Amino acid sequence: MVDASSCSVATVTEQFIVWAEDLPYWSVGGSLVVGLLWLGISLLEIHRARLNWISRSAVYLSTVISLFFVTLAILRPATVLAKVSSLGAKVVVLIDRSRRMSLAVDGHSRAESAEIAFQKLSKRFEGVRLASYEFAGNHLKLLEPSKFPEPNSNSEYSDLTLTLDKLSSELNEKASAIVIISDGRWERPVESEEEQNFGNSGPLKGTTIHTIDVGGRVPRDASILSVQTVGASVAHQPLALEVVVYCAESLRCGKVPVRVKEHKKGVSPQILAQGEANFERDSIVRVGLEVVVERAGTRIIEVSIDAPSGDEIKENDNRYVTLEVVRDRLRILHIAGRPTYDVRALRTWLKGDSSVDLVSFFILRTDTDETNTEEDSELALIPFPVDELFTEHLSSFDAIFLEDIDAERYRLNGYFGNLARYVEQGGGLLLVGGPSAFSGGSYAGGPIERVLPVTLVKSEHPFDTVDFIPRVTAAGRAARLLEPLRLVVGDRLPSMPGANTLGAIKSQSVVLWEHPTRSALPVKTGGVPGPMPVLAIGEAGDGRVVTLGTDGSHRLAWGKEGLATAGRAYGAFWDGLLGWVMRERRFESALGEIDGICIAGIPAKVRVSFTDHVDGEVSIELRRLESTASPVATVKRRIAHEKGILFDLPTLVEGGYSGLVRIGDAPAARFDFACERGGKAWSDSRPDKRRLIQVAKANGGKSVTSANVDELPIPDAPQVTSFRQITPWLPTWVWALGGATALAIHWLLRRLVGLS
Amino acid sequence: MTIVKPFQRNWSRRRFFGGLALSLLGLSKSVQAMGQSGTFSARRLATGKQPASVERDSGLARWSWELMRRTSAPARMTANIISAASPELLDEPFVLWSGSGDIEPLLPTERRGIEAFIRLGGILIVDDAHPESGNFSRAARRELRRVVPESPVTTLESTHVIFKSFYLLKRPYGRVVGSERVEAIVRGSTAQVLFLPCDLLGALASKPDGSFRFETEPSGKRQRELSIRFAVNIAMYVLCSDYKDDQVHAPWLMRRRARWQP
Repeated sequence: MVDASSCSVATVTEQFIVWAEDLPYWSVGGSLVVGLLWLGISLLEIHRARLNWISRSAVYLSTVISLFFVTLAILRPATVLAKVSSLGAKVVVLIDRSRRMSLAVDGHSRAESAEIAFQKLSKRFEGVRLASYEFAGNHLKLLEPSKFPEPNSNSEYSDLTLTLDKLSSELNEKASAIVIISDGRWERPVESEEEQNFGNSGPLKGTTIHTIDVGGRVPRDASILSVQTVGASVAHQPLALEVVVYCAESLRCGKVPVRVKEHKKGVSPQILAQGEANFERDSIVRVGLEVVVERAGTRIIEVSIDAPSGDEIKENDNRYVTLEVVRDRLRILHIAGRPTYDVRALRTWLKGDSSVDLVSFFILRTDTDETNTEEDSELALIPFPVDELFTEHLSSFDAIFLEDIDAERYRLNGYFGNLARYVEQGGGLLLVGGPSAFSGGSYAGGPIERVLPVTLVKSEHPFDTVDFIPRVTAAGRAARLLEPLRLVVGDRLPSMPGANTLGAIKSQSVVLWEHPTRSALPVKTGGVPGPMPVLAIGEAGDGRVVTLGTDGSHRLAWGKEGLATAGRAYGAFWDGLLGWVMRERRFESALGEIDGICIAGIPAKVRVSFTDHVDGEVSIELRRLESTASPVATVKRRIAHEKGILFDLPTLVEGGYSGLVRIGDAPAARFDFACERGGKAWSDSRPDKRRLIQVAKANGGKSVTSANVDELPIPDAPQVTSFRQITPWLPTWVWALGGATALAIHWLLRRLVGLS
Repeated sequence: MTIVKPFQRNWSRRRFFGGLALSLLGLSKSVQAMGQSGTFSARRLATGKQPASVERDSGLARWSWELMRRTSAPARMTANIISAASPELLDEPFVLWSGSGDIEPLLPTERRGIEAFIRLGGILIVDDAHPESGNFSRAARRELRRVVPESPVTTLESTHVIFKSFYLLKRPYGRVVGSERVEAIVRGSTAQVLFLPCDLLGALASKPDGSFRFETEPSGKRQRELSIRFAVNIAMYVLCSDYKDDQVHAPWLMRRRARWQP
């Protein structure tokens, strides 16, 4: 790691004397004490001995001299030559760079205040070695010396506890102090009354931490602090939402309406629930709402408030929540115009799936059938509740099978509008062929045609009865929804007992099986001429539609094919079709998801992953969710043998988006996401001065604002000796000899004058 | 299901044969499914040296004709005799095994064919032409025990779906009045092999002039009508499986059963 330093190093050469450097300090003091004691005893002894002044002077002098030499023998003085450098104190500056810091009040953002504070700090701490880091989200990044980071971070939060942990492993030199420049609105340490919770208990324990508050004043803001779901999101079942709404006291919100909407592809957002936040007592109110999401998969939910006038930050008045809605059970409606072995096979397969709630209505008797009964009570028949089904209960079904039923005869065509809207709002529709299906059942020209992947033609021959083997198209071979069938039967399909007359495939829809000999009849509206589609898939609004223009899929379960596969081919075929309609991920050609978050005005990234290695061009077509207009952006990349790819998206505006990933001939895979204006980062606009003060206090530091950075104490500069040379005055043995000789002379004098 | 006020028609032999002729010409409901593989066909299973019964086989076409006349189901009026060893046995999920006496043990190929048919989910009707002796029924059970040894024979409740799949009935009907219960081999939740104690095919068998070949005993015409209804119910069971067991039908059927006694 390169340590950023903003000061020069001052080096001086020093010369000084050291004493007994190899002995502990107490030995020097001890020897002096012993020497003085010795001197004192000697003086007392001389005074009591009644000696003449010559003897007394000689003994006294020898005592001092011997004491001097013994002391020198112990202390052994030496001269030291040293080079000493003064590096300046090391101070770490942590700059909060979460997107929250771009919140602006009175024309100044917190990031701008942070930059000013940083400049003041650099000036104040001139001569101090500053190492600057930016922290946001879960990352900590060392900055170039004296360079302030660009305000482009996508991180939605900042976590001081995590940052200090990371910093401790980054530093290779203990910092004299840490200075944090932030607004204090961190994820951690959490708000607490207890001061010890803010003390740094990690490896940096004991390091002084100062804080610089750049949050400014509390904005006059009403916002959605958070949206939380209680329990799992299950389709058709009530989901409890807790919306936490904040309103600054200065704004005087009173009662604020709260609204929950679901964004669906191709249709206007639908209101799921409404409530009210009452701010008469508190500035933070929890609003409980219950919503029912009918469709499984990724659903985009928008929660918004009607903030009062004077709200300074509009961007946090709404939040987008991406719900991954699961299904408890699959609720399916199966309607058949007449009982056949094809109907039997489909019903048997659907009933065999324990996760399916199947509601069936089969037309068992027509107006012209002669039951030979005198009264209805002899029959086990019930009326076909067409009105009830297609008005009251329609939205409760995840998918609807319409199999060979005459829409005019059984009054379905009166509800084609409802059925089309059902599909556009996320429902699944599977049309299965037969004499009364498609054009044979008055489907052509009705509102339902707009959601079908194929065009319909009013033909005198709505079907034929010639056996044929469907031809699998390139898209059919690439489609993951037909992969289970391919695994069972390979490319061998059974012959089908005739085909419905269908028009050309619509643009954006895909033909998986086509007729080997018949061509799509010319039609005036749309469609691409070519072989007649037999099996086609397409998206319509938020829903998906499958059309199968034959009533012979039961041949996958019976006959030679059925025997060869033990009937598994039939299940594999319909499992793929129904699974694709229900947006099961395993049947998508690719999976797309936003990498991180999408914030309006900031470029986002999309991660696309594939089940297998993929070659070729991959494209993403982005559309606004509620719009049917042309794409807002299309991005393309060519890849070679890769299982995943990261796309850079252009900057987007706020709202829900739908991305269609296309790879080769495979059907497009869809993924939905939302871009927010404020996002989580701006949801809570209040600066937290109290937490800044608590952190500084708990760690021996000081909390200041950007205006009074000069009040921060400058830490002492540590000094480092880079060169040191020791030169003894005399060799040790000379000191020892001198001391011994002086002691000997002193002893002889004492003997001469009569002392013991 | 759309219900209209029932009306009576003259059920003549002329109409039966007229319908048969139209069917063969491709103009009746039997071609109202694209191709014919999806339509009901009353097929008879032929095993070993079991003697053919041309007289009773005429009941197969009658069965299809009655089904077409009375219901929306398309059907084929051809009398198909399918060998148990033939791959064609697996083309469709319905076959009727009729006989009147003891039968020789099934050949291994026949056993494999019937086993595959049952394992694919097919419905096999064992129709004893002489339920008084019960020889055929016993022999068929003996052979089927070798085919699906893991599936025992059980007695179906009178509330089973075969008694309400189109008409409301309380018991099986046929040429003779046999047991009030139908025994069956149930696999999963489906009764796949039904042992009929009443010679159903005998009640449907017709002469070339369209009249019925055998008298129904002891109740004559009424028993014939109920036999036809039972045959229609079985066909509907084959086509719709347990559709009438769905919860949506339950309240209606309870009310109607309370009002009508067959």
